[in-house]
Amino acid sequence: MIESEFAIIGGGPGGITAAIEAAKAGVNVTLLDENERPGGQIYRQLEEGFKVTDPGVFGIDYEKGLELLGQFNSLSDRIQYLNNATVWGIFKDSTLAFTHGATSSKLSFRNLLLATGAYDRPVPFPGWTLPGVFTAGGAQKLVKTERVLPGKKVLLAGTGPLQLVLAYQILKAGGKIEAILEASNININWLKGLKGIWGNWDFLKEGWGYLRNIQKANVPLLRSHMILAAHGDGQVEEAVIAKVDKNWRPRPGTARKMPVDTICLGYGLVSTTELALLAECDHTYDLGLGGFIPLRNENLETTVPGIYAVGDGAGVAGSKVAIEEGLIAGVSVARSLGYTSDADAKNHIRCVQKRLAKLNRFRKLLDEMSMPRAGLFELTNDDTIVCRCEEITLKEIKDAMADGGTHTKDIKRMTRMGMGPCEGRMCGPALIEIMRRQPNAHPDALECLPPRPSIKPIALGVLAASGRGE
Amino acid sequence: MSQVEERIYKGVERGQQFDIWVDGEKIVAYEGETIGAALMAAGRRTLRYTNKYERPRGLYCGIGLCQECRMVINGIPNTQACQTLVTPECRVETQQSNKKRGMKID
Repeated sequence: MIESEFAIIGGGPGGITAAIEAAKAGVNVTLLDENERPGGQIYRQLEEGFKVTDPGVFGIDYEKGLELLGQFNSLSDRIQYLNNATVWGIFKDSTLAFTHGATSSKLSFRNLLLATGAYDRPVPFPGWTLPGVFTAGGAQKLVKTERVLPGKKVLLAGTGPLQLVLAYQILKAGGKIEAILEASNININWLKGLKGIWGNWDFLKEGWGYLRNIQKANVPLLRSHMILAAHGDGQVEEAVIAKVDKNWRPRPGTARKMPVDTICLGYGLVSTTELALLAECDHTYDLGLGGFIPLRNENLETTVPGIYAVGDGAGVAGSKVAIEEGLIAGVSVARSLGYTSDADAKNHIRCVQKRLAKLNRFRKLLDEMSMPRAGLFELTNDDTIVCRCEEITLKEIKDAMADGGTHTKDIKRMTRMGMGPCEGRMCGPALIEIMRRQPNAHPDALECLPPRPSIKPIALGVLAASGRGE
Repeated sequence: MSQVEERIYKGVERGQQFDIWVDGEKIVAYEGETIGAALMAAGRRTLRYTNKYERPRGLYCGIGLCQECRMVINGIPNTQACQTLVTPECRVETQQSNKKRGMKID
């Protein structure tokens, strides 16, 4: 069993920053990262074998990431970095279990930080299971770090500025975009309206850069438009799109077909909270912030003492917020272990809180614009697959509700929904919103599908190969 | 209209080029690519067929969460194509439904 005074799960901006901050104060840190190399989704580096010849094509985040990762690597005497380490359980005795290659190991911690990030909000609609439908994040990973385009004729559908980033990256790589659908009625000059928020100029500059490139490439940016369905024989061949009202409900008579071979869906992100739920941290539900998010105090400690949470996994707010939160968690843990004085920690945290407040004001505006509206959860027909793994349709959910299923966990038991290998990640966020809208919904239906260890599929051989007594 | 090529050569130099085998057919791949990316670059989008309705599925989340890209890789079923790097001469097969693979689980 590994013993650690500070274990961090997740190697994105929040986790890395917390590790740096704590290590600088003298804490010995263990960082468990699912990926091959640190950086998370946003600072994901290219695999070995690729040589970057023009860093310019990777954008601003890439360079920022290099700086942070440089610091992280320079502290390797205090930070133990475990790559390809998938945490699959957290237990009451302050231990966790993780797979590492072909074995499973345990680690006991004094403090734990959950920096698990977020993933694209899954949005069921007719045809969303066809090959050629990607999440925006999945398409972005392909383009950014594998240098492969997701397809030849691409449609982006969703909401918010992350779509523009993906569009920019596809265009820069030489790809072709048929259209970008923005569900909200965002004015093309919406970025201008944000000028009033002092201190976020670099956000604005980035946004303008993306928009300019999209306009230069003559890609239609269709506001108040959504995708209703994807059609095709074995893969995407066309999309049905329509104009929508302010609640994202299609306007009658506006539906039309668009021949495309690829659809990228970017309806914002949902927090990855299985581990926080497993650890029995109290959660609250906030649709705009990414669904179920752990409750935290001013030191970003959850309701379970010694367990902290930062970044998108504790409320989707982007990498800048994740970095600031990582600072707070790193300092808080250093203080709780006696490496930093109370006064120093307090001062430090106060400074960061000020910066965070400023960032959050800006985020609020973005959130309001891209907050999912009712129409997003009304796209499914009776025969639309909601649970991709177990192939459970909306009709089956409705039938289970008619048979007395009121809670999400009833639906899970009655239909097998959420019992497949994705373990409810793809159906859970939509299930809650879909159930809520059924006529016989129960007010307590707003519960997430309870995660169980292991939270990711593990081969039995891997468990069998773990050390005796672990 | 100029043809769009999926593999992007701008901004990077790729490592060693080698062949991999997909359902018995040879396709080109490069060191450092995932199997998922190599298949997308080759225009092969169906990675598996579902168990219940035997419908095609492809790369979806791309970051190891959705489990849609499970293929038979070097003989091992349920291996995520988006998380597995190519190796020279690796053998990849489209994963058929449990029924077709002769499994009794449903």
